[in-house]
Parts: sequence; structure tokens; C-alpha cells
Amino acid sequence: MLDFLSLVFVVAVKVFKKTTPNGKVTVYLGKRDFIDHVDYCDPVDGVVVVDTEYLKGRKVYSQLVTTYRFGREEDEVMGVKFSKELVIGQDQVVPMVNSKMELTPVQEKLLKKLGPNAFPFTFTFPEMSPSSVTLQPSDEDQGKPMGVDYCVRTYVADNEDDKGHKRSSVTLAIKKLQHAPASRGRRLPSSLVSKGFTFSNGKISLEVTLDKEIYYHGEKVAANIIVSNNSRKSVRNIRCMVVQHVEITMINSQFSRHVASLESREGCPVTPGASLSKTFYLVPLARSNKDIRGVALDGHLKEDDVNLASSTLVSEGKCPADAIGIVVSYSVRVKLNCGTLGGELVTDVPFKLLHPAEGSVERQRFNAMKKMQSIERHRYENSLYANEEEDNIVFEDFARLRMNEPE
Amino acid sequence: MATNFTDDIGPMAYPLKMVSQEVVEHMLGWNIPEEHQDLVHEHWRNFPAVSKYWHYGLAFIYTLLMLASMTGNGIVIWIFSTSKSLRSPSNMFVINLAIFDFMMMFEMPLLVLNSFHQRLLGYQLGCDIYAVLGSLSGIGGAITNAVIAFDRYKTISSPLDGRLNRTQAALLILFTWVWATPFSFLPAFRVWGKYVPEGFLTTCSFDFLTEDEDTRVFVMCIFVWSYVIPMCCICYFYSKLFSAVRLHERMLKEQAKKMNVKSLAANKDDAGKSVEIRIAKVAFTIFFLFICAWTPYAFVAMTGAFGDRSILTPVATMIPAVCAKVVSCLDPWVYAINHPRYRAELQKRVPWMGVREADPDNTSNVSGATAQTQNPAEA
Repeated sequence: MLDFLSLVFVVAVKVFKKTTPNGKVTVYLGKRDFIDHVDYCDPVDGVVVVDTEYLKGRKVYSQLVTTYRFGREEDEVMGVKFSKELVIGQDQVVPMVNSKMELTPVQEKLLKKLGPNAFPFTFTFPEMSPSSVTLQPSDEDQGKPMGVDYCVRTYVADNEDDKGHKRSSVTLAIKKLQHAPASRGRRLPSSLVSKGFTFSNGKISLEVTLDKEIYYHGEKVAANIIVSNNSRKSVRNIRCMVVQHVEITMINSQFSRHVASLESREGCPVTPGASLSKTFYLVPLARSNKDIRGVALDGHLKEDDVNLASSTLVSEGKCPADAIGIVVSYSVRVKLNCGTLGGELVTDVPFKLLHPAEGSVERQRFNAMKKMQSIERHRYENSLYANEEEDNIVFEDFARLRMNEPE
Repeated sequence: MATNFTDDIGPMAYPLKMVSQEVVEHMLGWNIPEEHQDLVHEHWRNFPAVSKYWHYGLAFIYTLLMLASMTGNGIVIWIFSTSKSLRSPSNMFVINLAIFDFMMMFEMPLLVLNSFHQRLLGYQLGCDIYAVLGSLSGIGGAITNAVIAFDRYKTISSPLDGRLNRTQAALLILFTWVWATPFSFLPAFRVWGKYVPEGFLTTCSFDFLTEDEDTRVFVMCIFVWSYVIPMCCICYFYSKLFSAVRLHERMLKEQAKKMNVKSLAANKDDAGKSVEIRIAKVAFTIFFLFICAWTPYAFVAMTGAFGDRSILTPVATMIPAVCAKVVSCLDPWVYAINHPRYRAELQKRVPWMGVREADPDNTSNVSGATAQTQNPAEA
């Protein structure tokens, strides 16, 4: 039990590191997921350790880079590239330019531990920067998946305009994510629609109400449906689905994917004069949509933490249409089939799908779950980094992403 | 008709005699036997027979073109159809174009043989075979160019879902063959128009000299069908493509501005030339090649049918044929060599050709992206 407690403690100060191919420069980051709290965003704080002898008067630069990829690599013809790289932050790290910069606790700890050759750097995400999103590739797609991703790139160069050499540069992939606000709100989203028919009197009306406005990943979405039939047609069946709307602002195109759906004939047909009240439960999950190309996922670095993309949140006073990158939203769509001649009655009720906010009760439960799952892994890692345990810092090597990429 | 024969030796002996000694100046078409004289249009008889050096020169040019076409198009067909990474629907069009161009290449040995005999071998049948090959490959190639423009427009304007699937691509390829068929086979079967020797009387093409309504309408139709329509398609799709790219670039710039990114061309070496200029260059090259290939032919045919035909000397009418063939040799380079995957494959299989996959244009743009995926695997 004591062992278990110490493990949990150690996990709390895990640090990620990655070294250049030539082994001279190492970058440490306190975390890989940076949370956008809508009103402010976690800064990217890290430390670079460099062999000053090796530099010989050269400098070390760091960049915060976001890459948009909005088309398949294999479709690139005529010199068009379906990807764009935006450098959203750039700093000279060694020698230090601003020696009075404010340090985050992780940086202070790392500087103390790593000695005089360690230099801190901090980037802030621009206010409008989009969240990390990956569009699920299909099996036959080659190359990098589409989406928005971020990385911290560190390189050795003579001056700012110099590109640096592959052997002395290192890139750490990071994520920018949004979490739900602390309170979920009390509003219950709902929609009421009705449909008349050309050749007969009366209407069918449909009311859909969701039990929450914000759902957490993995939660059940409950849609309460009330159908009242005052027409002469009858409702044959009811289809209920969770629709993920994806807007790719860089090419001004959008599409939607059904990430969960259910069809029911229970209580059907709803004959003229009758009404039906029913609750549908749907769980939108990434793992049940593995084969669907284009489903938006939260940017992921490892296989094990895949989940559907979180809804894009915009700060108050900003229009959702102003959001950039890949904008994700969700709705529950209910379709009533009123027979061949009657057509369909459709309505959409929007909701949000996010991770619980940091510090909330739900978050703690969520984290505990994850922690239990990864205890085994950490035990293994601890044995690897046993010598560094004395300061309660665990150094985890950055996942070697996409090993199959051609060099 | 036989007035051209100055003595009683047969026409077959003439080439021999020409080699041994200077002969009296003949008019074009003199060495065609009487029973096939109707092949030759009256117009050509007004010109003196072309010297054998012209014939040999043309044969020489065609031999070079044949070798160039065989290597260029042959390698394209070979690599595109055998390597897995290149088997995408869009690349099927490139293969199709190479097949058409390769077919045009089969004309060339025929011409070389004809040139050494200084007349058409096989008379009407030879003429038909030669002209069908030329016409099928020419019209097919032109419309394939237009289809490639369409495919590129679709892919680039909507990178997410615009790409044609295999079935659509196969249907479009079928369409190019169907498009090329009527004006290739109608004249061959004498349904509408006919194939006749032209220029040095060693090559064949559709008849644009006969002075009747039928021929004129035929020339007009083939002009629109195989020149105007493909050219309009090429212009239309590339200009649409260009505006789509401009729109994307503008949207990206706006987004970059929102994030306070100064330069969107993240890699400095790339800053000089914009995507628009690169696209415009490629599109213009393709358009220009099309113009080079078919405008001379269109001009000759239209002049023959409607204009002052006295300017159509035998040499002048051979130029368009050569132009069309030169472009069929250039096509594989224009379409394939710009293809990074093709270049990589070529480098792998034919290393002695010295194709450097890492051309500056490519690496400058990708460098950022690749750096990101570089792993310190062997660190």
C-alpha cells in the first residue's frame, strides 16, 4: 500500500523529455496537454538543457508551431500543399534574453534539478488559436492524418532566420484542448417542431429534450421524445442519432458524421390521435466509430487516449463563426418516418461534449479511473528511472511518434 | 496522269535511279502507281517532289522522337501501373494519357519506312492505319488533358471529399476513348470524311482539301470537337482551380492574422513564391503545351478548308505533325516528373537516371512538416 501511495505521488510530477538526435540538447516539458479555459490558456512552459561547450557561440531557439493539414498528402498535385505551418511563438532560449522572466513551479523545480545548463522558455497560445483535432483517416489513407496539431520545436542555429540542422533539432508534439466549464448549467436544450401534410389536415408534432446541456466524454446522452399525432398519417418508426458537425475553416467546408444512432419501432406505428413519450439513450464514443473516415477526434498522441473531439467553445461575446481551425459541434437528431407519402419530420437539438473541468468532482473521478489503468505502466517506468526518483520527478521519454514515417 | 513518267522504266526503279544520279524534277505524287493516284489531292501536285534529304531528315527526327516517346511514356506506364503507392484514381488518368501518347509513337516507325520509300506503303490501308493511330491518340490525348484538369480541380478545390473514386475515374477514362472514337473511325470507314496523304505524302490525316460541303462541315466539327472543346475545358478547370487555391490562401491568411502570425509561409525559403504562382506556372505550362501541340494542326486544317491554301506547302504541313509528336513526348515529363511519389519510385528503380527526389521546390515546403515527424530514433 505504501508503494502504491508513493507511485501516485510520483505520477503527480511527471515530466516529459526528448533529446535531439545528436544528444546535445534536451527539452523538458511539464505536460503535453495544455488546457484552454476559454478566458485564459495554460502557457507552454519548458526547460532546455544544452551542452554549452557544444554550442560554440551558436544559439538555441524554440518555436511553438501549429500545423493545419486539410487534405491528403497523396492528393497533392501541381505543387499545392494541403498543409500549412504557422509559427505562433518563437524565442531565443540560450543564451537567455530575458533573465527576469516569471517561472512556473515546474520550471523552478526543473532548473533546480538540472543545474546551470538548464534554460527556461515559456510560450502563450494566441487568443484565437484552435484546439488540437485529428480527423480519423480511413485504412487506405497514407501519410499524416488531417487536422490541427501543435508542437514545440527546438533547434540550434546561428541566428533567428537559420533553419537549424536535423541532428540538432527536436520536436515535441503537444495538444491544446478545451475542458467543460466548472458548472454544467441548468438549461435543458429542447426543440419543438411540427409537420403538416399537403393533402390531409392535422399535424404531427415532435418535442425533443435532452437531460443536460454539456455531456462528458463517455456519458450517456438521454433524449426524451414526445410525439403527438394529430394528423391522419401514422409514424412508422423513429430514428435518433448523435451527429458530429465538423467545420474546416481553412478551406471553408463542412461535413457531419453520425457517431451514434438508434432506430426504434417500439410503440410504432403512432396512429392518428395517439401520442408517444419515450427516452432514447445514446453513447457517442470514438471506439464505436473506428471505421468511419473523417470523424473528428481530440488530437491524440498515443493510441490509448482516443476520444471524440470536444465541442469547440468560444469566449463570451465572440461569435462561434469566428472560431478558426477545425470547429466541432454536436447535436441529437431525431427523425420520424411518416410513411412513403408522409415524408420525414426531423429536428436537431444541439449539445456540448467535453472533458470535465480540471478540479471538479467529475474530473477527479475521471482522473482516478485513468490512474488506476496506468498504474502498471508507471511501475514499469519507475523501475526504468529509479535513479531520478529521489526528487520526485519522473522523466518520461516523449512518445516516438509515427515511427513508420520515412526519414 | 502518267505524264510525270519521263521514260519507260517502272516507278519502282525510281528510288534507285534517284540515288545513282540526279533526275528530272518531278511533281509531288509522281511515284504513286496509277491505280492509287486518286489518293493524292490535286493540291499537292502543284508542288515539286520533296527531295530525298527532306524525307531522310524527317525520318531522322521521327526516330529521335520515337526513342524519346518510348522511354518517357514507357517508363510512366511501367512505373505507374506496377507501383502500389501510385495506384490512385488520379494517376489512372496519367497512365491513360501515356497510353495515348504511346499509341502516337506507333505512327513513327510507319513514317520512317514511308520516308525511305518516299511514298506511302500500303496505300489506302496504310493510310488508314496511320491516320487512325494519329487521330485516336491525338483526340484522346487532348480530352485526357481536359479530364486531368477536371480531376485536379475537384481534388484541389475540395481536398476533403472532392477526389474522384475508382469507378468515376474508370468511367471518365472510358469517356476519353469514346470521345476519341467517332472522328477516328468515321473517316476510316468512309462514313464521313476520309483519310488522305498530306504534306510529303508519307503521312496521312483527315481530308481537309476536297472542296465540298461535306468536307468543310467535317473539318469544322473535328476542329470544335478535338480542339476547341478540350481547350475550353482546360482553361475553365484550371482557372476555377486557381481561384479555389486563392480562396484557401486568403482564408488561411486571415486565420493567421487572427493568431498574430506574421508570415504564413512558415519556412523562410518558401516565402519568395506563393502557391498561386506555382499553380499558375504549372497550369500555364499545360495550356501552352496544348496550344503548341494542336494549334498548328488546327490552323493548317482550317486554312485548307476555308482559307488561302496556297500557303500550305508540303513542308509547312509537316510542321504540325511534328509539333503534335513532340508534345506527346513531353507529356510524360510534364505530368509525371512533377509527381513526388513518381520521382521517388523512379529514383528507387532506375537509380542510374540520377533523378534527385529532393528537388528544392519540394523540400522547402515539406521541411517544416518532416522535421516534426523526425524521430531521434538512432540518437
